Amino acid sequence: MSDTNSEVIELIETVLETLAETIDDGVFPEIGYFGSKKKNVEYSDLEGYIPVADTPSFIDGRKVESAKTIAGLVYGLTRFKEHLEQKMSMSLRDFYYMHKVKRVQDVLKISNQTETNRLINLSERIIKHKGASVPREEFGVVSSPKGTFYGDVTLSDLSGKRLTCNAAGEYGWFISSRPSDVQIHDINIDAAVFVEKEAMARNLIELGLPEQLSIGVGSLFGQPGRNMRAWIRRLSDNEVPILVLADMSPWSLRIFSTIKSNSIELANIRGLATPKAHLIGLTTKDFWWKKGMLNGIEHSLETMSSSDIKCARQNQNIPAISQDEFLRKENETMLKKKRKGELEAFKAFGLPLSELKQLYVNYLSTKAADIDVKLI
Amino acid sequence: MLTPKGYSTDITELSVSAWFYRNRTIAGFDNPARSLYVSIREIVENSLDACEDERVLPDVSVLLHRVSEVRDDLLNSGPEIFELTVKDNGKGIRREDIPVLIGKMLTGTKFTLKQSRGTFGLGGSLALLYGQVTTQEPIEVVTGQRYEPQGHRIVMRLDIETNQPVILEEEIIPKDPDEMGTMVSFQLQGDWLRSKRRIIEYFSQTAIIVPHASLLFETPDGEVLRFDRLIDRLPVAPKEMRPHPRGIDVEMLKKMIEVSRARNLKSFLKGAFQRVGVSIAEEFLSYSNLDSERPPSSLQQHELVSMMNSLASYEKFLPPSPKSLSPAGTKVLMAGVQRLSPDFAVFKKRSPNVHEGHPFIIETGVAYGGGLGAGVKIFRFANRIPLLYDESSDVTHRVVRNLNLKHYGLRQDDPIAFVVHICSTKIPYKTVGKEYIADVDVVRREIELGFKDCLREISGRVRKRERAHKQMKRESRLIQYYQFMSETLSSALDRDVSFSSLFALSGDDDE
Repeated sequence: MSDTNSEVIELIETVLETLAETIDDGVFPEIGYFGSKKKNVEYSDLEGYIPVADTPSFIDGRKVESAKTIAGLVYGLTRFKEHLEQKMSMSLRDFYYMHKVKRVQDVLKISNQTETNRLINLSERIIKHKGASVPREEFGVVSSPKGTFYGDVTLSDLSGKRLTCNAAGEYGWFISSRPSDVQIHDINIDAAVFVEKEAMARNLIELGLPEQLSIGVGSLFGQPGRNMRAWIRRLSDNEVPILVLADMSPWSLRIFSTIKSNSIELANIRGLATPKAHLIGLTTKDFWWKKGMLNGIEHSLETMSSSDIKCARQNQNIPAISQDEFLRKENETMLKKKRKGELEAFKAFGLPLSELKQLYVNYLSTKAADIDVKLI
Repeated sequence: MLTPKGYSTDITELSVSAWFYRNRTIAGFDNPARSLYVSIREIVENSLDACEDERVLPDVSVLLHRVSEVRDDLLNSGPEIFELTVKDNGKGIRREDIPVLIGKMLTGTKFTLKQSRGTFGLGGSLALLYGQVTTQEPIEVVTGQRYEPQGHRIVMRLDIETNQPVILEEEIIPKDPDEMGTMVSFQLQGDWLRSKRRIIEYFSQTAIIVPHASLLFETPDGEVLRFDRLIDRLPVAPKEMRPHPRGIDVEMLKKMIEVSRARNLKSFLKGAFQRVGVSIAEEFLSYSNLDSERPPSSLQQHELVSMMNSLASYEKFLPPSPKSLSPAGTKVLMAGVQRLSPDFAVFKKRSPNVHEGHPFIIETGVAYGGGLGAGVKIFRFANRIPLLYDESSDVTHRVVRNLNLKHYGLRQDDPIAFVVHICSTKIPYKTVGKEYIADVDVVRREIELGFKDCLREISGRVRKRERAHKQMKRESRLIQYYQFMSETLSSALDRDVSFSSLFALSGDDDE
């Protein structure tokens, strides 16, 4: 961890030093980088979104607005450097408030957090390590970590403490803000199931499924944060099959696609995509196929709202969905039927709890088996 | 001319003063507010003319005091009695001319033209008459001329029925031979509350068009409005010129023939008109089928009319001479406009042009920025007096409205003042009120071209200033950013980082 730290500090110092020399020499600095234009991003089945160096953008220090950006960049980098040296992290909001320091505010006149967020994004694009962008987590900038993981996985997180994820509290381990710096000691699970909704994940844990099936259960809490996506990738890199359980809705297709392929905006940040992740449910076939496991509660489906439909239409233009055979078909079917299903639908069977547990077990193992993952 | 003498014994001759007494609205004395304004204006303009005639820089003081008690009820206050005193350092008046000041309409026998301020050619005498008519108080005049050892003080009134001045008091005042000037003091009815704004506006605008004068105005409220001289330079004096053949009518032709001592028509034409020489006179007479050797007085009425028509249709007369005009001059106008404290101004003088046989010169100016408030303003002057009424009917208003300011990089709400000065021996006023200029093609074109000429220059300056302003703003922001950068870098890297060479070397050479 301190290795990465000092490496990043070195990188930042190199950039600051270069800028200082340029200015000392009486030359206006110019910074080139690759922005998040569509041309600079490609979609690949195997890797998700990947950055391509197609059309560079330039920040020309002779121009007033660009000089302001560079000034903001310089200030931001010195903040990162100091925080890294002190081993302190900051949130995006913290970073925004650092621009409210009077002497900084007077010069940069930042009035909105999107401006400082943009500066962080720019730092990620400008500071490169071995050809890849340095993610903001490595500058010490973390968004509030989100997501939990329960299961027999032993690791040491940033606190340096060694723990096992099924012994860390009722939801398991609260996922670190920098999963890339977490050391994994031991993995005793056959698969990891990541559930969109926290309530469902809790039910699975309460019913003892992780122990019975020897799986890990993660809770995404909606759209997963960068830390969760990085954690999923870490598990996948350790040969743990990744199964995703989400609603049957256009939004959930997006959630899954960001887990699988990352996003266009963050294509430059590696280690966020998990191309081996599988969406096991809820699928349209579960409800509408004759042999679908949820066929019996088809009546529980709700009508899609206009914003749901709009979302599904937009999905048609998202490469990670439209160029993925399975996701594309799911999206088309939903658009045609104009109905959506939610994870809570299992409750519509009205089963006694013992039978509900069996239903969950059956569902998970059947769906896992479909993709050649054997759960006992 | 149309005195109906002898038709009936019931009809009596009407003196000028009696006529005025009955018809004063025509001359602008229609209500106490307007009368006060017109009176001040007429007397002040007389004073300015008296100074300029003598080629001295005018020094005019105007004092207006309430004679009647101030009433408590301001809202319902009507006309009050005021004492108006106007003092100048002009040429003064000869003792024998003083009584004629009041009540007499003077017509010379010289038939010459030159530009003068007076709106009706009656100068202040109508104002004095108005004062007497409304207050029944006499008029006091103190005057002295240069090189004279003494001045005169006369208190007089006019017998309206007989149109004869009656001198009530007279004394001789010793004075320094170099001293000169006139002080007129009289009482009149007026409405200060309702004319205050206009009168003050009149002084402010007069100060613009006559910047070589020092003006002082003490209001009935005890405030003193003071405009000090801005330039020690008088406009070129107008020369008396004979009329141009295009600028007369049959009546005038008749009178000119009456007083002419020429023996034949050829020498009459040559002698009575400007720009007419022997060859043009001969050519014209043969054009109008008149014998050039005929004595002028032998012409019959119908011959006079046909000669008049020929004068109007003959095309070879040279245009009238502009020497009878006294344009303000761009330097004087430039000095005057400083009263509005603009950032900059441009004035242009157009070449002389002709309307109905009278020469005219248009001077235009555009001022920009500084003390001018937002929006387009128009200042109109005619023969160096401000025109304050009926702006929206004036030809200048129309011209300005039709200008495409965008074309010059300006906007309607920019601080812009348009100034126009027309001088002529006969200003083409539209109505008897003589407050606005008629929309005459040739006049409108001159004003339009003048404004456009000024705008081109203003637009260049505004653009240049905006560019410089932008450049400066841009540079100061750049410096601010680089200063911030070098400070931040210095403290982060723990060494001095200087940005000074950045701006010393390449501050100016990038676009």
